[in-house]
Amino acid sequence: MGKDTWKWILTLIVVIGAIYLAYPPKEKIRLGLDLRGGMHLLLEVVTDDALRMEADHVILRLQDIFKEKLVKFSRITREDPKTIMIEGVDLSQESAIKDAIEQFANEWDYSITGERIRLTLKPNVALYLKEMAVNQAIETIRGRVDELGVAEPVIQKHGADRILVQLPGVDNPERVKNIIQNTALLELKLVVKGPVESKDELLKDYNGVEPPDMEIVKSDPAKSRVQGYYLVKKVAAITGKDIRNARVGKDEFNQPVVNFTLSNQGGKIFEKVTSENIGKPLAIILDGRVISAPIIEAVIRDAGRITGRFTPQEAEDLAIVLRSGALPAGIKYLEERTIGPSLGMDSITKGLRASVISLIIVMAFMVFYYRLSGLNAVIALILNMIILLGVMSYFKATLTLPGIAGVVLTIGMAVDANVLIFERIRENLRLGKSVRASVPEGFRKAWVTILDSNLTTIVAAIFLLQFGTGPVKGFAVTLIIGIVASLFTAVFVSRMIFDFVLSSKKKVEKLSI
Amino acid sequence: MIELFKTPNINFLKYKYHAFALSGIIIICGLITYFIRGGFNYSVDFTGGILVQVSFKENISTGKVRALLADAGLGDCTIQRFGERNEYIVKVPLPERKRGELEVGTEEQNEIARKIMNVLMSAEDRKKFTEGFVNLNAISISDLKALLREKLSDEESEKVADKIVEYKNKHKGIITDFSEFEGIGIDKNIVEFLKSKTFLGSVAQTRLEAVGPRVGKELRKRASLAILWSLLAMLVYIAVRFKFQYGLSAVLTLTHDVLITLSFLLFFNREISLEVIAALLTIVGYSINDTIVIFDRVRDNLKLMKKTDLENILNTSINQTLSRTILTSLTVFFVVLILFLFGGRAINDFAFTLFVGVIEGSYSTIYQSCPYILLWEYFFGKKHYGRK
Repeated sequence: MGKDTWKWILTLIVVIGAIYLAYPPKEKIRLGLDLRGGMHLLLEVVTDDALRMEADHVILRLQDIFKEKLVKFSRITREDPKTIMIEGVDLSQESAIKDAIEQFANEWDYSITGERIRLTLKPNVALYLKEMAVNQAIETIRGRVDELGVAEPVIQKHGADRILVQLPGVDNPERVKNIIQNTALLELKLVVKGPVESKDELLKDYNGVEPPDMEIVKSDPAKSRVQGYYLVKKVAAITGKDIRNARVGKDEFNQPVVNFTLSNQGGKIFEKVTSENIGKPLAIILDGRVISAPIIEAVIRDAGRITGRFTPQEAEDLAIVLRSGALPAGIKYLEERTIGPSLGMDSITKGLRASVISLIIVMAFMVFYYRLSGLNAVIALILNMIILLGVMSYFKATLTLPGIAGVVLTIGMAVDANVLIFERIRENLRLGKSVRASVPEGFRKAWVTILDSNLTTIVAAIFLLQFGTGPVKGFAVTLIIGIVASLFTAVFVSRMIFDFVLSSKKKVEKLSI
Repeated sequence: MIELFKTPNINFLKYKYHAFALSGIIIICGLITYFIRGGFNYSVDFTGGILVQVSFKENISTGKVRALLADAGLGDCTIQRFGERNEYIVKVPLPERKRGELEVGTEEQNEIARKIMNVLMSAEDRKKFTEGFVNLNAISISDLKALLREKLSDEESEKVADKIVEYKNKHKGIITDFSEFEGIGIDKNIVEFLKSKTFLGSVAQTRLEAVGPRVGKELRKRASLAILWSLLAMLVYIAVRFKFQYGLSAVLTLTHDVLITLSFLLFFNREISLEVIAALLTIVGYSINDTIVIFDRVRDNLKLMKKTDLENILNTSINQTLSRTILTSLTVFFVVLILFLFGGRAINDFAFTLFVGVIEGSYSTIYQSCPYILLWEYFFGKKHYGRK
């Protein structure tokens, strides 16, 4: 062996390393959703929701501060998520208004035209709020997915306002989608009046106008046992943010309920609210609909329960979304792919069969055509496959159905390097050169070609990587790894084997090629 | 030594104008087909829409499936047989909508998918369903466990549920008869219990895909861009490693490859899906491979054969690399053929595209890329063209 010893050791290390990484393949190779079944969702966060919320917040703040400072105005409205309009102001109070805005709405630019002031959200703040909304949505969704007990979920930001969710093995897609999408905006508000059948009846005492500190909320047609309209305090006593934990339980009628515990701060507020309002009803509002409005019977400090008309599953789902917190903004599904596990299993069987048949045919062909040198190529091909699997396990790359096709294609293309080399060697032999001279020269001449042709294929595959998601990406990954591995096996390892065979004999007159 | 050719000496370039004509005809026919069909047969990935794949318990004809769906007002959907037996793909285009409202609402897609499943159910299914039986062919594993817990311990119900689901998955997601349970070692009492609570629905949903039109549009754009950018990258790479005209010829050849393959996809009414785009890009990568091997020889020979004219050098180079071209094409051809025959229906379009591409790629290397070089030198170069 002599000077080639390091090559053998390197090859051995690479192969043993690859086997170690990839064995047993059933556990080590991550299968894509198209092979193991599961759910792929692309969703969009309606980031304008977050801006809208911010605008409403500022409006409330300004209304309060204007009242406090006796600034006159007729109304403050939100024109769009990024614009607020203050109308009917008195220009003599301009400096007071400016002070208020600069102090309490300093994230907004403003311009005054006549009696109107236009506030626009500063672009960098808008951007920040949007980004926060997406990040928070990712955290919330991750929490919910974890609660569902999905193994190896993928939850990633995808572009500016999209989230990619991949859930292997999910077989009840509708439930999962509902849980993810549920905004779970929980509010507990004191009931002033209700439930009654019409809105007008609620406003009778207020000359038909909704008082500024109250609002009308409808009951939830599915979850509430009583239907109708409620007039409730606008400011919530407790919101989902104050909830520390939520669990499913049963009430005295053996109906499912959701028991919750409050955070320290939330508990203090709740204690105050309940102690001041014993005997009055408290509306439990989920996503803007009243679920129930139980009477406050005693002072509650840190624990409460949500009653309503729930199935056990609905109660469980509600507990999950409450535990993981509210979504900062609405969510829309742009893309959904649910693949049943039976389909994946079928694909695996067929894909494996195609790979094995290809491997055998290509190997047989190489040995038939190039004899012992062909055997050399076969060894290179087997090593290529082992390295491919090892590298895929190492990078935790997913094997998809097109990925299997990529493996099959690699089998076909990897021998190309061997063919190029062998043909060059044959040419040299035909010219009457000795075996010892022909082999290295064949390798040397073929090398440039191999490098150029493989690099261009890799360039094409990289564009594929950029373009594709999921299955297609899996194809590009196996193709790239396969080609790089073939450079090592077909050039480096093959050469090493040739050198070993040639150096083991004193005189070489013929080469089996 | 087994040799395909001893020392081939075929005048390939003699037929270059025939080849141009052949390619031209194919592409023109492709274009005509494009207009006759009114465009490509895009998959749901690119058009947006809903795809439901179902597996039936018993044999059912395409016509029957179509009739069932048409009765339910789903007349404009496409129905495809998938694989060998009793499996179908139903594709529903997105409903026309107002501008600015371009999303598939999750509720809406669920509604359509549910409608399809409902229509395809047999009358017996529906009866069982209203009687309160649970469909064992549509149950989620968690629900199945919960059901079995009425009869078994937690641990045992887990085991039995896993067994049933595994069996179901191995059989296209559908169990035909309760008697099959005995074969996988499930206790008679449990089978009786399942019989009293559940029924084996006649149809099961194995795949649901819903793509919003916005995503579809973006994907189409990204696919075109990916192909264009990869072509440009090839141009730059080869222009740097060889010469500009080689890069240009290569890119023209690749464009030709893409056009020919697309024409064949049109002729056979194959669907253009994400996977097919991946196959197209692979063809770009594969065909360039071939082209470079010949260009490499041309580069060598231009130095070795200082007096020979370009056409002869090109011909010699093609001949010298002919064994390799054919051998490699053959191995790749074999594996693609195997993918096409045994890879399963799910990658059939993908394999078909590769199949066309492999054959066409070898042809184009010889009959497109080399003539392009020749034409360039004839019009602009003259240096090597007729040197004596």
